[in-house]
Amino acid sequence: MDETVQKYTTRKGFFKQYKKKSRLQETWNRFLRNKLAVIGLFIFVFIILAAVAAPLIANYDTDAIRVNVPSRLQSPSAKHIFGTDELGRDIMARIVHGARISLVVGCAAIAVALFIGGALGAIAGYSGGKIDDVIMRCMDVFLCLPDVLLALAIVAAFGTNLVNLTIAIGLAFTPKFSRVVRSAVMTVRGVEYVEAARTIGATNTQIITNHVLINCFGPIMVQVTLYVASAILTIAAMSFIGLGIQAPIPEWGNMLASGRVYMRDHAYIVMAPGLAIFLTILSLNLLGDGLRDALDPRLK
Amino acid sequence: MSKFVVKRLIAMIPVVLAVTFVVFTIMWFVPGDPTNIILGNEWSEAASAELKAELGLDQSFLVQFFRYATNLVQGDFGMSYITRAPVREQLMARFPNTLVVVAGAMLFCVCVGVPIGVYSGVRPYSLFSNFTMVAGLLGISFPIFWLGLLLILLFSVHLRWLPSSGLDGFASLILPSLALGSNYMANIMRIQRSSMLEVIRQDYIRTAKAKGVTARDVVVKHALQNSMMPTITVIGMDIGTLLGGVVLTETVFSIPGTGRLLVESINKRDTPTVLGCLVIMAVCIAISNLMVDIVYAYVDPRIKAQYGGGKD
Amino acid sequence: MEIKKINEQENTLEIKNLVIHYISDEEVVKAVNGVNIIIKAGKTLGLVGETGAGKTTTALSILNLVPEPQGKILSGEVLLQGRSVLSMSERELEVMRGDKVAMIFQDPMTSLNPVHTVGRQIAESIEIHRKVSKQQALKQAKEMLELVGIPSERSNEYPYQFSGGMKQRVDIAIALACSPDLLIADEPTTALDVTIQAQVLKLINELRQEYHMSMLMITHDLGIVAEVCDEVSIAYAGRIIEHGTLEDIFDHMRHPYTKGLFNALPDIGVKRSELKPIKGLMPDPTNLPSGCPFHPRCDYVMEVCSQSLPENKWLSETHCVECHLYKDTNESML
Repeated sequence: MDETVQKYTTRKGFFKQYKKKSRLQETWNRFLRNKLAVIGLFIFVFIILAAVAAPLIANYDTDAIRVNVPSRLQSPSAKHIFGTDELGRDIMARIVHGARISLVVGCAAIAVALFIGGALGAIAGYSGGKIDDVIMRCMDVFLCLPDVLLALAIVAAFGTNLVNLTIAIGLAFTPKFSRVVRSAVMTVRGVEYVEAARTIGATNTQIITNHVLINCFGPIMVQVTLYVASAILTIAAMSFIGLGIQAPIPEWGNMLASGRVYMRDHAYIVMAPGLAIFLTILSLNLLGDGLRDALDPRLK
Repeated sequence: MSKFVVKRLIAMIPVVLAVTFVVFTIMWFVPGDPTNIILGNEWSEAASAELKAELGLDQSFLVQFFRYATNLVQGDFGMSYITRAPVREQLMARFPNTLVVVAGAMLFCVCVGVPIGVYSGVRPYSLFSNFTMVAGLLGISFPIFWLGLLLILLFSVHLRWLPSSGLDGFASLILPSLALGSNYMANIMRIQRSSMLEVIRQDYIRTAKAKGVTARDVVVKHALQNSMMPTITVIGMDIGTLLGGVVLTETVFSIPGTGRLLVESINKRDTPTVLGCLVIMAVCIAISNLMVDIVYAYVDPRIKAQYGGGKD
Repeated sequence: MEIKKINEQENTLEIKNLVIHYISDEEVVKAVNGVNIIIKAGKTLGLVGETGAGKTTTALSILNLVPEPQGKILSGEVLLQGRSVLSMSERELEVMRGDKVAMIFQDPMTSLNPVHTVGRQIAESIEIHRKVSKQQALKQAKEMLELVGIPSERSNEYPYQFSGGMKQRVDIAIALACSPDLLIADEPTTALDVTIQAQVLKLINELRQEYHMSMLMITHDLGIVAEVCDEVSIAYAGRIIEHGTLEDIFDHMRHPYTKGLFNALPDIGVKRSELKPIKGLMPDPTNLPSGCPFHPRCDYVMEVCSQSLPENKWLSETHCVECHLYKDTNESML
């Protein structure tokens, strides 16, 4: 038979037309086509590099912490790219070291939220019924309070050291994560291959780890990215009002707070920290959105 | 319909109580002896013991919570450790200010954000729509406290058009509402736009066009109502964002509201006031969720029927 | 494909050489590739073809509602009572739609606005085109409901309160509210149960006769064609490959595809051991075969079939076919 005819009349021929690319490859390609997402990726990588290279750019103790009154409140110049703050410290040094703090605490907090919230959500979503009800009602109660306020309450009770702060923010995001994981699990749970796995005798734990979690991975990664952005914002906000990371540790939020008094005559003092927060959050949001669109493309 | 509202109002009570319980539990762990703060220089063992008995601070956790809850339902928020006056007084003085700022932000965002979202949803490939998307992205990423500072720099310091602090007169409300609402409005714009895009593709829109309905009426009479559901959800549910943000806004603009009261009380270890602020905010969120459900019923007749409102 | 003209004034609809493609970043879907249709006043044309043959797209072009921006009308004319639809302004189109031409869509479950009452949706058409008051329009809407067999008290109810068959009746009421000259019915019974199908079909037929409407009935069901249509056009891969009166097509079918369609029907009168489906699959509109689009599936395929598109050939005054088999046929040979 003629090849064209074969293409249309035999099953094998018909499907050969549609080469199956690996799903990961396809997702990555779609991601790359999204200009905004790529920009976000670049910015975020830049921020990470700045944070990692912080000790090379500026010495922590001499540049970021040590008070140096004679050089206080200097406008941006070649020596001090972002100027100096009210205690004479180089703002740029404080910014890059602040990046480390924000990123580490933000990611750690979300890791806590993912671990606890994820476990709760997975159990609720997979078990269904009464267990699901009980867990979700508990989470709903927490959702009645905005994250900032809940974190503030926890910090009020337990103090503002770094560990407590991380846990406070982590706990504040736990209910949101439990919802996300639960709905991802519930979507996957009904799919046929779970039933199929069950018929060959896989245990519940095996099903969860091998099938359910793997397919939830995508949507959960999207939320992780977006929530890390929120967490970093929350840290900055709490530090801004004085209930987060305390001076003299450089954190973008508390830099804004202390510089605020001098803002009128030295406007530059609030530019760099604010910009840093903004760019970090923007890049993470772009990344998260880009991931979401790459995983589930729709006609725009 | 009214039956439904009453039912939900009653259902709100256990939720608020549950939230109160959570917050109460957290604040239980605040270290230090309240009697130190209250009595100050007049502290003595005897006075302390007497005060503790009076305030019930020597009782067990559950008893204390029960006492707090019963008082709460009657409107008694307890006594401030610092001012030694009823917490309620401070809340009544400060809460209206917060309410004004939040309401201002909400009004602004809904009135501006929804039409923008609608228009860019109807014309998805236009310059306006692209601009909206970019503005939306920037809006949700902009930290509102930084935005507040920048607005002050521009409008108060540089241009001298608007005041930078306090809350007297309409002009002083503009900058705080703008700053507070930025995230909120960006969200509303994005959701409304994407909802509109969804709705425009639906079959019943095609039917409307096939009947000869004008392009404007297709949007206003057919698409709009159907696209409102997700937006209403965001408007209502996101009030938490506004309440969380009002703490920051009040700090930046030196507004004497509940947010600043909360921060001050935390710093001074004034637990009853902290609790009072948090409870009031939780109540606001619960009421807001209820209003969302009520508005749903008016927008979507299927939901109205579920509530038993059909032929009132 | 060309159809002989009889008297232009009598033609409610004329489509000439219509070509419509859907163009996106990734691919080009060649939905309609040179379609010619004529519907005379008061007659019904059945447009038959499987899913993906371009029938709905053709129908939408009559209302100039081909979805943009992907859908692009590359060439061709659509004349409604002599007026060119494709060059009308938006305002002229709005006046025409619903009044001169109306369409019943395929899926009744999604074609009604869920937040408006059915009465309001029917009345809207009347309000727009007849310049009457809201109350008057609603009154007429209730009369339309009665006409399609729905009690008029239900005009205050919402679409979700109706079954699929009743929703389709509401669609019919909307379409007929302003007595259009041309009714386009796009597979109006496909989404319905068999018993309801018969009722709805009967209703359409009665109303069509009463209102003296021309109708374009799009379907893949030859039974419906037999009941309702005067003439038939068979569509394949965006072209009309055979056209004729009911008798021409049912009793004297010529094109191998048409034969295949009829043979694929289970016939209770003939005891055969197997059904005879047409081998192969519908061609991918993004990747159409060369030459005649049907050639990969054709039992009578010749070498010329993969090389060039067959021309249209008139076998009688009413019957034409696009197939290389009949290139040199004379009327006398049949």
